[in-house]
Amino acid sequence: MKVIVIGGGWAGCAASIAAHNAGADVELFEKTDMLLGLGNVGGIMRNNGRFTATEEISALGAGELIKIIDKNSRHKNVDFPGHKHASLYDVNKIEPDIHNYIKSLGISINLIKRVIDIKKHENIIDGIYLSDGTYVSGDVFIETTGSTGPMGNCLRYGNGCSMCILRCPSFGPRVSISSRAGVDDLQGERDDGELGAFSGSCKLSKDTLSDDIVRELDEKGVVVLKIPEEDINMDKLKLKVCQQYALKEFAENVVLLDTGHAKLMTTFYPLQKLRKIPGLEKAKFIDPYAGGKGNSIRYLSVAPRADDMKVQGIDNLFCAGEKGGLFVGHTEA
Amino acid sequence: MKLFTVFMYLCIYVFVTLFPVQKYANSKHLRSIVGGLFMNYEIKDCIDAGTEYCPCSLAETGDCILCSHLQGKDFCDCTNWKGVCIFQEYDWNNNKAKTLRKVSLSKIINKEILDENLVCLTILCTHKLVLELSIPGSFIFVRNPKSNGYFDSPISIMETLPEENLVKIVIELKGVKTKSINLLEENDNMAIKGPYWNGVLGLKNINKCKDGISLLIAGGIGMAPMIPVMRKLYASGNKIVVVIDKSNYKDIYIKKYLELCNADIIECTLLANGDLSSEAKKIIKQYENKVNLIYCSVTDILISKILEFSDDNVNFACCNNAKMCCGEGVCGACSIRYAGHIVKKMCKVQIDPRYIFKGRRLL
Repeated sequence: MKVIVIGGGWAGCAASIAAHNAGADVELFEKTDMLLGLGNVGGIMRNNGRFTATEEISALGAGELIKIIDKNSRHKNVDFPGHKHASLYDVNKIEPDIHNYIKSLGISINLIKRVIDIKKHENIIDGIYLSDGTYVSGDVFIETTGSTGPMGNCLRYGNGCSMCILRCPSFGPRVSISSRAGVDDLQGERDDGELGAFSGSCKLSKDTLSDDIVRELDEKGVVVLKIPEEDINMDKLKLKVCQQYALKEFAENVVLLDTGHAKLMTTFYPLQKLRKIPGLEKAKFIDPYAGGKGNSIRYLSVAPRADDMKVQGIDNLFCAGEKGGLFVGHTEA
Repeated sequence: MKLFTVFMYLCIYVFVTLFPVQKYANSKHLRSIVGGLFMNYEIKDCIDAGTEYCPCSLAETGDCILCSHLQGKDFCDCTNWKGVCIFQEYDWNNNKAKTLRKVSLSKIINKEILDENLVCLTILCTHKLVLELSIPGSFIFVRNPKSNGYFDSPISIMETLPEENLVKIVIELKGVKTKSINLLEENDNMAIKGPYWNGVLGLKNINKCKDGISLLIAGGIGMAPMIPVMRKLYASGNKIVVVIDKSNYKDIYIKKYLELCNADIIECTLLANGDLSSEAKKIIKQYENKVNLIYCSVTDILISKILEFSDDNVNFACCNNAKMCCGEGVCGACSIRYAGHIVKKMCKVQIDPRYIFKGRRLL
C-alpha cells in the first residue's frame, strides 16, 4: 500500500509516521527545503487543554513527535495571559531532530518538490503531478498542505505578502489538492465577514532586544510589556486566526514568548511603533521578514471532511492539520 | 506459459482501460504505454510572465494566462508559478497593465541579397533592445514605416551584436507584407516592435542540454531562426549535428555560423511525397537515442511528422509557426483551439512541442 503525503508540516510528519506504523510505503512531498512548515515559527505546546491532548496522544501510542518536542523545549510550565503550564520549544533546533527521526524510519522525504495537480478517475485519485510535470502514482493520499497563502490570497484578503516562512516566491505557492480534485474548499470568516484570518504571531530577533528583556525571556520564558496608550488597537484581535490568543491582554500589551526567537503574540506590528516600547528600540522582525506590514492569511482552503478525516467526495483522499479544520495548533496537527 | 498468460491479460487490460482515452492509439503509443505507463502533464507557461511587460492587457479583462485571480476567480490556484506573483505585480501597478512594447524607427545599416527572394537586413537598435533580443526564441515585428500596423511581420532574430547595437534578420519575400519591407534600402528607417520571445517552443528542453550531442533540423527560411538555438547549445558544451534542407535556395546561407559551432552538416531533402523522406527517417533513427535534444526549424507538417516518427522519450524543441500579428495575445491571429474548449494564444503560451498538435481542432 503506497501512501503519499502532500505537505511536510507537523500534520504531514505525524501522518507519515502513522501511515508508516500501519505498514504502508510512505512518500512525503514538501515544497520547501525544510519540514515542519509553520512549525518552524510556532513553539507553543501543552497550553491549557492541549496538555491533556498531548498526554492522550502519547497514551494512544503516537507520542514519538511529542518526545522530541519535549526534549527541545526551552521552557516548561510557563504561564502567560489566558494560558497556563505551556511548553515552549526551540524553533531553531526542532526541525533537524524531527527530520532525522522521520528519515530514520525509512520514510521517503522529497524536499523542494511542489505538488500542483492530481490525476483521478471517477472519485479515485491515481497519482500526483509535481511542478516539473513528473507523475507519481499512489494508493492513498493525505493532504496536509495547510491553508496559508499563497501570495495572491495574502494580497486579496490581507496586507499582501509579508515574506513568511512558507517562502512562496522562492519555492512556489501551495496548491490545494482537494480543490484540484474538484472538491469545493471551505473558507473561515472573520468577525466582519471577510474571508480568511491573519496568522497570529510574528518573531523578533533576540539579538535586537535589550539585555534586560533577553535575560527575562531566557529565565522565565515570557515577557509582558505595556503598549503606549495611543497605539492600543482592540480591532486587531478580530483579525487573527487563533482566537485563544485574541484576549484583551494581547491588545493592551506586547506579549513575548521565548521560543529561541522572541515570539510576539500579535498578527503584525508596525516597526516604528514597536520601537517606541522600552527595550524594543532596536527590534527587528525575523519572521515574517515584513512583520511590520502584515502576516500570512490562513483558512482559505479548508477541505470538507468527516470525522475519519476523509475528504468528502473523494474515495482515497484524507486531510489533516489546518487543511482539515480551523483553530489548529501544533498539538492538533 | 504462465508468463505469456499474464502478459496477455496485461495487454487486454491496457486495451480496455486506455483505448477509449487515446485519440490515436497507434502502435507506437501502445508500445510506450505497455513499456512504462508514463504520464504526460502539459505545463503551460506564459513567455512574458515576470518580465517588464507583465501584467499585460489580458490581466485587465480577467484573461491572464496563468493567474487565477486575474481570470476572475477569488483564490489562488497557482499550478504554474513562474517566480513572480502576477496578481501582486498588477496591484503594484495600480491595477493596470504595464506599458506595451513600443514601435521604434530603426536604421537599416546593411541590406544583403542572399538569394532570389531572400534578404538579410542588419538593423541598428537601442542597446537595451539588442540585449533583450539575445536569447533563443527572440523575434521582432517589422514593417515599412509607410505601412499600416497590420503589415507587422514577426521575424526571428538570427544574430545580435551587442557591442555594436546591431541585430540581423533574414526575410523570405513571400507576399504583400514582406515585399513592402523589401522596398526599404540601406540607410532607410524600418519600423520595429519588440522584444518578443516566444519564437521557440520547448525552451526548457534546450536550457537543460549540457555537454551532450544535439540534433538540429532546419529547412529553407528555418535556417535563420535556428542560429541562436544552435549557438546556445554549442555554448553549453554540446556537439552540434545539423540536418539541412536547402529547399529552393542555391546555397546554405548560414555556413559561417555552422562553422563557428563546429557543426557536423548533413544535407538532405526532408519532405518526400507528403511524408518524411526515407533519408530523414534514417538520420532520426540513427541519432534519436544518442542526442539530448532534437530541434526542428521547419514547417508544421514536418514538425508533426518528426514528432510522430521519433521516440517518445526524446526531448524536443521547435520553431513556433503560429501566425502572429499583435504579439500581445489580443488580436487572435495566433490562437489555436484544442479539445476541451481550450484556446492557446501561441504568441505567449510556451509549451512542450508535443502539445502543439495533441487534441488540436482543425475546424
